[in-house]
Amino acid sequence: MAKVKLIYSHRVVDKPILANVVLRTGVLINILEAKVNAQKGELIVSISAEGEKLKEILNLFREEGVEVQELAETLRIDWERCIACGACISPCPTGALKFKEDWSLEFEEDKCIGCRICVTTCPVKAINIP
Amino acid sequence: MGDEGERLRTINEINEKIKRGDVVVLTAEEMIKLVESSGLEVAAKEVDVVTTGTFGAMCSSGVFLNFGHSDPPIRMTKCWLNDVPVYKGLAAVDGYLGATAMSETRGFDYGGGHVIEDLVSGKEVVLRAESYGTDCYPRKYIETTITLEDINQAILVNPRNCYQRYDAATNSSDRVLYTYMGTLLPNYGNITFSGAGQLNPLCKDPNYETIGIGTRIFLGGGIGYIIGEGTQHSPGAGYGTLMVKGDLKQMNSRYLRGASFHRYGTTLYVGVGLPIPIINMRVARTVALRDDEIFVNIRDYAVPSRPDLRPVVKRVSYAELRSGKVYLGDKSVPSSSLSSYKIAREIAETLKKWIQEGIFLLTEPLEPLPREREFKPLKVKGRELYVKDIMKRDVVTARPGEDVKEIAARLVEKGIDHLPIVDEEGKLIGIVTSWDLAKAVAYDKRRVEEIMTRKVITAFENEPVDVVVRRMSQYNISGVPVVDRMNRVIGILTTDDISRRVVEGGGVWQR
Repeated sequence: MAKVKLIYSHRVVDKPILANVVLRTGVLINILEAKVNAQKGELIVSISAEGEKLKEILNLFREEGVEVQELAETLRIDWERCIACGACISPCPTGALKFKEDWSLEFEEDKCIGCRICVTTCPVKAINIP
Repeated sequence: MGDEGERLRTINEINEKIKRGDVVVLTAEEMIKLVESSGLEVAAKEVDVVTTGTFGAMCSSGVFLNFGHSDPPIRMTKCWLNDVPVYKGLAAVDGYLGATAMSETRGFDYGGGHVIEDLVSGKEVVLRAESYGTDCYPRKYIETTITLEDINQAILVNPRNCYQRYDAATNSSDRVLYTYMGTLLPNYGNITFSGAGQLNPLCKDPNYETIGIGTRIFLGGGIGYIIGEGTQHSPGAGYGTLMVKGDLKQMNSRYLRGASFHRYGTTLYVGVGLPIPIINMRVARTVALRDDEIFVNIRDYAVPSRPDLRPVVKRVSYAELRSGKVYLGDKSVPSSSLSSYKIAREIAETLKKWIQEGIFLLTEPLEPLPREREFKPLKVKGRELYVKDIMKRDVVTARPGEDVKEIAARLVEKGIDHLPIVDEEGKLIGIVTSWDLAKAVAYDKRRVEEIMTRKVITAFENEPVDVVVRRMSQYNISGVPVVDRMNRVIGILTTDDISRRVVEGGGVWQR
């Protein structure tokens, strides 16, 4: 599973590139976040592939003129600073941040789309996106 | 069962047991479980003390400091710690550092709360002070570094801590709000709340039978005392507060944490824990109150009114809030806390351990806290200025089908910058400003509807001017059409109208 940001310029924003990649490779691509208008498009997707297969898929996007950014890391939480207050939990749009049974904070990296709302919300500045 | 107020045990008896090492202490959570499994009578008989805790943002907090004298000495009239201003309306080298004072160089990111945390963690802090110089205090400027150990006194004195409970927050508007209740997403996107509910100290003895002036408590990881009712103490309505003090030098930064709320300001997270001696059945009963029996209102922060005038969206229990979702109508809305339940629990556990180990004895309150107190709003002299007081009523409008050239002429002729566009019923559907006309020329557009802005920021005539001014600056616009509830244009308010008012000396209030 890889998380990738796809940036469409105005030249390619009206083409069904993602759909074509899915059809050609048969690999599932899940759209986590999308901002699209007539000038530009930005998608954050998770692709169920690894290694060579992933490379091939990313190249397909690049060939169509889509800029590809691999999101290696999402959030970095300073667990020493975190006070488990919960201020980041309800603003999180994907439920990537939640409480564990013992009321400490839990972060599910797979769900994170890097929207940064938790970074600004955290009262003790324990969350960062490198 | 007889009289609920009949004494089960005295503070002295409990202290004797603490010294002997056979006192029975439970945290409030454990007490709730015991009452559920064995019943109130048994629990009240068995348990001597129940411990509580809370760890949340408490803005009315701060520390009295005595820096000691330099040689030659200075009568500090202005003073900063790490660029955060210290209140200096006190003796030469005494000061009060408040949690919400913000750094003059780092703004929202660093404030009094952070300085307090840094001091408690043993870090060096830059002290800078100015004076005008006197015969007895000739020095005019000083800059040095201090640590908590270096200074004579650092006494945490918090005028309002430990709210019994706190109303929750949500946001009905169409934009994100950054508040002291955290980030509130648009269209009821989330709910935030504060307070430890069933662990919250003042929820456990709401009749103030064991809590009063002189009560020894857990404060910031050290020992503190209740010195009176807190400001805005409103026990009748269930919103009691405490004023507390303690020696900062004994405290621990795990329980005193500087914090900042995005675009709101800085504060201090304070850990407070109270021991509740089970002196009678009434206290045993209230100490076992559960999250599902403690209620607060959810208020709409989209309405920029006094806290108690913000509309109540729903009344809910802490159990519902803590479950992570609350239904508003048929919409499931995520809810989360701003105070830490985990650390509240840790505080109750720590206090329990102190009592069991005999290092914390209970105190008899010297005087009870008031059980009735009115919480009044501020009396404001003069009348708030409303939109209707200064808006222009003879509004020039245009229709979407009109020619751009014609309306450009109209703007020039009338000497105005904003032209609301209305439909046949007079309802607002867009706005054209002189900027939009520039666009029309640049892109060679002819009809008004091709260039008008369709999402119009508006005002109502009964809104305070201050509120609308803030809206205009948020959207970076210089005028708003004033509409009625049917969205019909009844006036217009521009920054010109407002600045004229200010120039005329009226301010934005009428005096």
